[in-house]
Amino acid sequence: MSTQDNRDKNQVETTGHVWDGDLQEYNNPLPRWWLWGFYATVVFALVYWLIYPAWPIGDSFTKGFATITYEVNGEERTTHWNTRALLARDMQTGEYAVRQREMLEQVASQDYETILADADSMSFVNAYAQGSFGTWCAACHQVGGAGVIGQYPNLRNDHWKWGGTVEQIEHTIREGRLGYMPGYRDTLTGDQMNEVAAYVLSLNDYDVDSDLADAGERIFTGMEGGCFQCHGEDGQGLASQGAPNLTNNIWGLIDVQGADSDSERLRLVANFVRDGIQREMPAFADRLSDDEIKMLTAYVHSLGGGQ
Amino acid sequence: MSQAATTAGSVPATSVASTEQYNYAIVKRFAIAAVLWGVFGMAAGVWIASQLAFPFLNFDIAQITFGRFRPVHTTAVIFGFGGNALFATSYYVVQRTCQTRLYGDSLASFTFYGWNLALILGVITYTMGITQGREYAEFNWQIDLIILVVWVVYFWIYLQTLLRRTQPHIYVANWFFMSFILATALLHIFNNLEVPVGIFHSHSYPLFSGVQDAMRQWWYGHNAVGFFLTAAFLGMMYYFVPKQAGRPIYSYKLSIIHFWALVFLYMWVGAHHLHWTALPDWVSTLAATFSILLLLPSWGGMINGIMTLSGAWDKLRTDPIMLFLITALSFYGMSTFEGPMMSLKSVNALSHYTDWTVGHVHSGALGWVAMITFGSLYHLIPRLWGVNLYSLKLVYVHFFLATIGIVLYITAMWVAGIGQGLMLRAFDQYGNLAYTFTESVVFLHRPYVVRAIGGGFFLAGMLIMAWNIAMTVRMGIKSEAREREEARAAEARTA
Repeated sequence: MSTQDNRDKNQVETTGHVWDGDLQEYNNPLPRWWLWGFYATVVFALVYWLIYPAWPIGDSFTKGFATITYEVNGEERTTHWNTRALLARDMQTGEYAVRQREMLEQVASQDYETILADADSMSFVNAYAQGSFGTWCAACHQVGGAGVIGQYPNLRNDHWKWGGTVEQIEHTIREGRLGYMPGYRDTLTGDQMNEVAAYVLSLNDYDVDSDLADAGERIFTGMEGGCFQCHGEDGQGLASQGAPNLTNNIWGLIDVQGADSDSERLRLVANFVRDGIQREMPAFADRLSDDEIKMLTAYVHSLGGGQ
Repeated sequence: MSQAATTAGSVPATSVASTEQYNYAIVKRFAIAAVLWGVFGMAAGVWIASQLAFPFLNFDIAQITFGRFRPVHTTAVIFGFGGNALFATSYYVVQRTCQTRLYGDSLASFTFYGWNLALILGVITYTMGITQGREYAEFNWQIDLIILVVWVVYFWIYLQTLLRRTQPHIYVANWFFMSFILATALLHIFNNLEVPVGIFHSHSYPLFSGVQDAMRQWWYGHNAVGFFLTAAFLGMMYYFVPKQAGRPIYSYKLSIIHFWALVFLYMWVGAHHLHWTALPDWVSTLAATFSILLLLPSWGGMINGIMTLSGAWDKLRTDPIMLFLITALSFYGMSTFEGPMMSLKSVNALSHYTDWTVGHVHSGALGWVAMITFGSLYHLIPRLWGVNLYSLKLVYVHFFLATIGIVLYITAMWVAGIGQGLMLRAFDQYGNLAYTFTESVVFLHRPYVVRAIGGGFFLAGMLIMAWNIAMTVRMGIKSEAREREEARAAEARTA
C-alpha cells in the first residue's frame, strides 16, 4: 500500500481509515459552489411553498399566496391557485379558447349554405374538423379521408353511396349506416354470376364478351337476379339503400382497377356477387356535439364534390 | 500493490490467493448472470424499439408484441442485468471492505437461484400476457412472494456480513448498498399489497384504488430509480472508481452529507410522475420542490467520483475501464440535472406522455447504470478468475459503441419528445389544435428509427463485452487447472 497520494501538493489529509489494502478517503471540505447551490435550491423550494399549495395540515393544506380569478355561474370568484381553477380560467379567458369560441359561435349561427359560402367560416371548419376527423373518423377512413378499398369508403371522390347532400351526410354521421348486399351463392349458378359480372363491367366500358354481358343484363334487370331493385334499372344506384352507382368506374369495395387482366376483373366481381357484403358505420349522435357534427358534415362535404 | 492496481486490466497477485478467504464463487455466478441478462435484455430493447419504428415486425404474434415485450425488456435490464450486477458487486465489495467472508454460503446460493428463477418466471408470464400492469412491478403475486423471500435473505446475509467485519469502520459503499436493500424491501412490499383472486389464480386486486394507488405505484416507481438504479450503483461507484484509479475518495464529508440528503429526499419525489392529473395540487408541489432539492445531493456523488480522479486525469488516456466509470458519472450528472427540470410542472406539461421521458430514463439507464456496471465488471471479472482481461482493445471498442449508441438514443428521444410535445400543444390562428395525435405519430417515425439504431450500437457493444468476458473466464479456468496440475506435481515430488 502506498501513501504517496497523501504527499500531493495542496492535498488534505485522509481520514485515516483504510479498507481492502488501499481504499482511503480524503477529507476535503464540501465544494463551496455545491453548498451554495444546495442552499439556492432550498430558497427556491421555500419560495415555491409560499406561492403554491404545499404542506398538508390535518385534513387541509397550506394554500399559498397565488390566486386565480374566474367565473362561476356568472359571478366572479377568487380562489387560491389550483389546477381546476386554472383550467376553468383558461377556458374562459385564454387567448385561444376565446378565439375558438368566437368562431364556434359564428359557425353555430350559420346554416350549411352560409357556412359553405363563407370563406372565413369554411377556413375555420377545415382547421377544426381536420382534428375531429383525425380523432373520430381517421381510424377507418384514414387521415386524409381516402378510405381503404374493400373496407372503408373513400370520402375524397364525388361518389356518394348514401347521398352527398349536407343533410344526407349529417344523417350518416348522426345515425350511422348499415350497408348490405346479399350473396347470390344459393340463387345464381357460377355461370350466371360471371354473366352479371360481365354486364356490370360493361357498364363501365371494360372489354367483355358481349354475349356474356347480354345474358348478365337479363339477370340484372329481371327477377332472377333482381339487382335493379337496389342499383336501379340503369345501374345508377339508389342513395336511400346505400346502393352504389355501378356505371362511373369508381370501385370502393372491389379492387377492379388494381386487377391486371380482364379475367381477373371478371373473377373479382363475380366473387363479390357470390359473397355479398355487410358493412357498418357507427352512429356519432351521442358522442359528438351538434356543432361538432355540423363542422364534420361541412368538412366531409367539401372533401369530395358534395352534392 | 497500488502500482499494479492502477494499471488497466492487470491484476494484483493478492486477488488469486484470497479466493479461499472470500466467497468468490457466488460473485462469479452473479457476474456471469448479469452479462447474460444484459445481452438478452438489451436485445429485447432493440427488438421493441424496432417494432415502434416498423410495426409490422410484431408479425401479429401476441407473445412478441410491444405490449408484452416491453416489461420483458425492462425486467431483464433492470432486475436481470442491473440486479445481478448489484448482487455480484455488493457481495464482492462487502467482503473486501469488511475483510470477512460472506455470511451463509448456501443462503447466498439461494439468493442467486431464487432471484433468477423469479426473473425467468416473470419473463415467461409477461409473454403469456399475465401482468399486474404496474410499471416495473409487473410480476404477479406469486412471483412477488418469491422476490420477497429472496430479498429478506439478501438483507440478512448483508447485515450478518457487516456485523462480522474485521474493520472498525463501515466503508461508504456499504452504506449505499444497505440503504438500497432496505428501501427496495419497503418499496416492493408496499407496492404489492394486494388480494389474490384465488390461490391458483395469477391475478390479484390492489389494496388501494384511484389516485392513492397511482401515488403508491409512482412512489415505488421513482424510488426504484432512486434506490435500485441510483443509490445501489453509487455503492458500486464508491468502490470501483477509487480502486480502479488507485486514489482515495475525494471527500468523506461530502459522502456523508450527500448520502443522507439523497436517501431522505428521494422518498418524496415520486408524485412528480403524476403532475396535472387527479393528484392534489399540494402533493404535486412537494414532489416538484423535493425534486429540485435533490439536484445537488445527486451531484454530490458525481463530484466525489469524478474528483477522485483529480490529479490523475491522464488515466483517461490509458485506461478504458476508467473511461467507462467517468463517462458513467458524467451521464449521471446530466440526467440528475434533467430529471429535476422535468419534474417542474411547467416543463412536465410539455414533456409528460412523450418520448422525452423515455430518453431521460435511458440517459440514466444506459449512460449511468450500464456504463458504471460495464466498468465495474471489467474491473471485477479478471480479479475473480485471477487473470488479465482477454482484450483491452475490445473494451475501447465497447466504450465507443456504447457512447455512440447513447448519444443517438438520447438525441432521437429529445427530438421525438419535444417535437411531439410541441405538436400536441400547438394552436392555429382560430384556437384549434393544430395537429391530430395521428400526425404526431407520423412525425415520430424517423426519431424512432434513429433510436433503434442507437440501441443497436449499444447492443453491439454489449455483445463484444460478452465475448471479451467469455474469453477472459476461459483463460481463468485454464490457468486454474494448470495451477492445480502444478501443485499436484510439486506434491508428488516432495512425497
